[in-house]
Order: sequence, then C-alpha cells, then structure tokens
Amino acid sequence: MKFFQLLAKIDRKIIFLILAVVIIVPLIKPFGLISRASSRAEAVFNAVDAIPPGKPLMISIDFDPGSMPELYPMLTSILRHAMAKNIKVIVLGLWLTGMGLGEQALATVSQEYNKEYGKDYVFLGWRSGVLPVILGMGEDIKKTFPTDYYGNPLDSLPMMNDIKNYRDIPFFITLSAGDPGMATWIAYAQARYGLKMGAGTTAVSAADAYPYLQTGQLTGLLGGMKGASEYEFLIKEKGYSKAQTPASQAMDSQSLAHLLILILIVLGNIGYFFIRKGTAKKEEK
Amino acid sequence: MNLATNIWTWIGAFLTFFIFSFLYRDNPFYKFAEHLFVGVSVGYSISISYHNVLYPDLIVPLFKHGQLLNIVPLVFGLCYFARFVPKGAWLVRLPMGLVLGFGAGAAIPATLQASIIKQLQGAVLTPSIFSRWDFFLWALISLVGVICTIIYFFFSKERVKSTKFAAEIGIIFLMVGFGASFGYTVMARISLLIGRFQFLLRDWLGIIK
Amino acid sequence: MQRQIPLALCLIFGIFMMVQFFVPHPVSNAAYEIVLRWVRIIAIFALVLGVGSLVMHHSTKIKRKASGWPFSIVTLVAAIITAFVGLLGVNVVNGKLMFFAGIGKTSLLQILFQNIYIPVNSTMFAMLAFYMASAAYRAFRARTKEATLLLVAAFFVMLGMVPIGSAISPRLPEFAEWILSVPNLAAKRGIIFGIALGSIATSLKIILGIERGWLGGGK
Repeated sequence: MKFFQLLAKIDRKIIFLILAVVIIVPLIKPFGLISRASSRAEAVFNAVDAIPPGKPLMISIDFDPGSMPELYPMLTSILRHAMAKNIKVIVLGLWLTGMGLGEQALATVSQEYNKEYGKDYVFLGWRSGVLPVILGMGEDIKKTFPTDYYGNPLDSLPMMNDIKNYRDIPFFITLSAGDPGMATWIAYAQARYGLKMGAGTTAVSAADAYPYLQTGQLTGLLGGMKGASEYEFLIKEKGYSKAQTPASQAMDSQSLAHLLILILIVLGNIGYFFIRKGTAKKEEK
Repeated sequence: MNLATNIWTWIGAFLTFFIFSFLYRDNPFYKFAEHLFVGVSVGYSISISYHNVLYPDLIVPLFKHGQLLNIVPLVFGLCYFARFVPKGAWLVRLPMGLVLGFGAGAAIPATLQASIIKQLQGAVLTPSIFSRWDFFLWALISLVGVICTIIYFFFSKERVKSTKFAAEIGIIFLMVGFGASFGYTVMARISLLIGRFQFLLRDWLGIIK
Repeated sequence: MQRQIPLALCLIFGIFMMVQFFVPHPVSNAAYEIVLRWVRIIAIFALVLGVGSLVMHHSTKIKRKASGWPFSIVTLVAAIITAFVGLLGVNVVNGKLMFFAGIGKTSLLQILFQNIYIPVNSTMFAMLAFYMASAAYRAFRARTKEATLLLVAAFFVMLGMVPIGSAISPRLPEFAEWILSVPNLAAKRGIIFGIALGSIATSLKIILGIERGWLGGGK
C-alpha cells in the first residue's frame, strides 16, 4: 500500500516527461507496426477511386491547425490519390482558419503531380455563414462562390464549365474537426440534395459518425490519425504515391502512448482500490 | 541531424517551445506567443474575410456592377454596429432576427430528414438483417439500446418499475458510448502531440525523415 | 416596434425557409437564392464585429495600463501587420516584395500563417495530451459500475484502434469495432434523436416568437 501511496505522490512533471519519451523514441527508432486499412477507410478510398474521368471530387476543409496532425495527412493523401488518378478536385472550407492549410496542401501536392490550376483543380476558399454556403452550392456553386480563393471569377476557370451544383459532384469528403463539419454537411447537403459523402474526422468525433455510417448517410470514415494512416497505406499499396507518410510513421508512438495511458489508468485504479481498502479496515478498527 | 536553415522554421520551433513552457508554469514567453497568435489570427481573419467575401460578394456587385439589391444585406450588416450607439442599440436585433429565423427555418426540415427519418429507418429491423443470425442479433441489441437511451432521457414523467429498468439499461449503453468516445479522445490528444514532435524532430532538427 | 419588427423578420424568414423546402417553386427558388446571398453577406459583419470588439478590448487595456498591457501591444501590432500584408496582398517572390499580388502560396499572409499561426495553435492543443496523461493516473477511477463500464469500453477502443491492438490479437480490433458499431451506435443514435427533437422544438419556438432570449433586455 505504501508503494501506491508513493506512486500517488509522483510529480505530474515526471509523467509529462515519460509521455514525451514514449512518443519521441519510436519516432527516432521506429519498430514498424503496420497500419492496415479498415473497411471504413476502404469505403472512402473506393468511392474516390470510382469517380468517373472528368468528374470532380469535392473536399471541404472543416478544421484548423488545432487538429492538423490528424486531418492534414488525410487531406494530402486524398489529394494525392485524386491527382494520381487524374480526378479533378474542388477544395473549399467552412473554417476560415483552415484556408492556409488548403493552400499549403494544394501547393505541395499539385506540384508533385504537375497539375494545372483551373484545369485540374480549383480552390474555392471560404465564404461566411455556413448554412447559406452549403445550401447555396446545392443550387448553384458559381452563385455561392462568384470567385475562387485567389479572386479569379469562377467562369474563367475551364474546370468549372460543366459543374453547376451537387448533381455534378459524384463524391464529397468533409475533413471535420467539429461544428460546422460532418453533421452540418449531412443535414444540409446529404439529406436535402442527396450528395454522396464520406468523412474524415478527428478521433474525438469518430465515434459519433457510426449511426450515419449504418444508415448510409456516410459512405465511409477515416477516424483520426489512424484513419489518415490507413489512407496513406492504401495509396502507397496501390502505387499512387511515394511521398512521406507522417500519420503512418506516428503509429508506433501512438500505440506506445496508448499503452502508457492504459498502464497509468490501471496503476491509478489499483492504488485507489488498495488505499480505499486500507481506509475501510481502519474505520472497522 | 540536419538542422533547418530557414529562419521561419526556427521561429516556428521557438514559438512551439514558448507554448510548451506553460507545462512548467505560466510565464511571459507563453503569454507573448499566445498574444502574438491572437493578433495574427485577427489579421488573418480580416484578410481572408476581405478577399473571400467582402470584396467579391459585396464591393464588386454593389459598386462595380451596380446591383442595388445588395444594399439590403449591407444595411442589415451595418446594424450590428448599432450596439455602440445607445439609442439605436435595438437595431442589432434586425440582423439577428433575420439570421435566426433563417437558421431555424432551415434547421427544422433538415433535422427532421437527416436526424429523425433517416435514423429511424436505420433503427428499425428490415428484412435484410434476417440473412445472418449475427446481423439480426446486433440490430436487435442496437434497437433495444436506442429505445432504452431515449427512455433514460425522458424526464417529463415519473418513472415506474418498467421504465426505471429500461432507463438503467439505457445508462449501460450510454456509458459504453461515452467510453468509446473517451478512448478515441485519448487517441486524438496523443496524435496532436505526436504532430508537434514530428515538426520539431523532422522540420527543425532534421533527425527523422 | 423595437421588438415587433425583429420578431416579424424572424417569423417571415423562418416560415419562408420551411415553405421553400417543401414547395420548391421557380419563384420561391429565385427568392431563396437571394436570401442565401443576403445571409452570407450579413454573416460577415458579425465576424467584423467580433474582430472590432477584440481590438477595442486590447486598446482599452493599453490605455488603462491594466495588468499585462504590454502583451496587448503585441496582439495589436501583430493584428495590424498581418492585416496590412493580407489586405495589400504583399508577396515575397525571389526575395523581392510585391504588392497587390494576392494571398497565394508566396504571400506573406500565408508565410505568417504557416510559421506563426500553425505552430502556436497546434501546440496549444498538443499540450492537452500531457494533462490527459496526468489525469489518467489521478482521476480516471472505476468508482461506480457505470464508471467501470466506461473505462472498459475505452480500454478496448484504445487498444483495438491502434496497430498494436492487432499485433496483440486480431480479435481486439474486431471487438473494438463491435463496441463502436453496436452499443456505441445505439447510444449515439439515442442522443441524436434527443438533440434533433430538442433543436426542432427550439427552432419552432424561435420562429413563433415564444423563445425571445435573443432580443436581450430593454424595450
């Protein structure tokens, strides 16, 4: 019991240090756990893969740098998949502070695949108001986004010539860190306009997506950094990309850190159990 | 080791350490980074709002193309600033009333369709689930879980023996649901920390690829 | 009048949006597109108002020399510089400054975003992992049977959803997936129903003017 009382007194800074070590060591010396794809991730991958030539994939950046390690690798992997397969891409976002991430990802990936702006991909940017943006695009994308992120009129971009509204978009993915995000797109674009969609979410909201997966409102799901690593695995396996895979590289650290947290919970509970038992005995006396 | 040569990467690394220094205790370095961040985010929001909304959606149509109907949202929008004028403060309610009415009117059918009808369709037992015993069993458990969870949330009437039992079952489902979310939350927080270490080890120090 | 007009506006636009949903006529569609445009533009002013309030807050702090006022100078200077380079479209191309060149990848706005906004914002959230590890040890106790259930479910999800889970046993990910897609699904669906009914009721109350909290005080 003394042991557990001693444990209970450990300074939290020591726990901070242990966590840092548990994460850093596998990053430097990986032990190579492989993150295979779940059926949920495969469903997203297959839906992107099945987009007919000439038709666009639409992606919404509904996150900011606060959840970048989870969702940014999804964004780059999905862009790589689409661009490797010559699928056109439309990117927009409901989070103003996510726009810089969209710019960064598009600049990086379009260069890797030698894609031309306006012909192969378009960055619509951000518009205020959330609901009028989602609903407006269901009627007419060009009226909702008269110009793209850079201020070019949409009419001047050849890729947008044949795209009017959601009916011209075979598949859509929201990369969502909360509200507005997955639930908003499901309620206002999927339910009302029948937009076929998948979601990449932060792990925090991944469990909330399951009722929508079962009903088919969501085609597939990438949950957290693990979901991102699954997509990285898929595009690498199919030969679409040779780029860095930050989410997959993180999986060793992720696994060890989970083990550490579990050990901490178990130790804390054993200590609690013994201390409580000890107090009960004293009271009996 | 392959140290970054870009000054901006060094700035990013130092700011990362400034924020991490809060783990020791609150200090001026943390406060500096925090206030710098707020400032940059304000400036960033102003810039994106101007380039993505105010200029293309309001200034160009109104002043370059003479689409006078855009005066209406301009006037409504300006009403937000009436809160700084004591006598006209009530004008703030005009854009609020319009936007709230719009949002509520849009939400009712959307919620009904996406969260009630579709979810009801998902909850009921359809013929396809009888194809395999496990499909059927899980669907049945889910249905019981949904009903019991709803009963747990129903506080309008005092519980009798049967509803009390159902509510207790509901709690079991809720706890498992919260547990699943909690497990995933742990995953999320760890991922975010890994992301920062990857930045420091890869982009700044060049220790990892 | 100061209450009636806003309430009437709320009623008119609320009913219009509902009617438009169920009766999508060409005339109502045209009006619908105009309304969507209006609301988008009005929404931007709410954001401008928020930015204005924040700037005023820091200016007052500096004027009154309130505690920590020098940090308010940092905020204001950073805001002014960022807004300046953003609005004027300052770009750095081959080491040279260019004005009115947009907000693309070579813009200073993007550089500030990538090298100041991203590191600070993401580190703030990354820090939570440390506090969670400490809480895991001190606070996550199986005090009741409900708390035990929560911890057991979390245990399997935490192990099953990362690669080490499948390395220990392929059954672990399967069981975690079962937790997520059966009991978790049931609980989340129950919650969705609850939230949906609540939001429909609140929306109706707002449209009909029964819920008037948003009007605030005064006449």
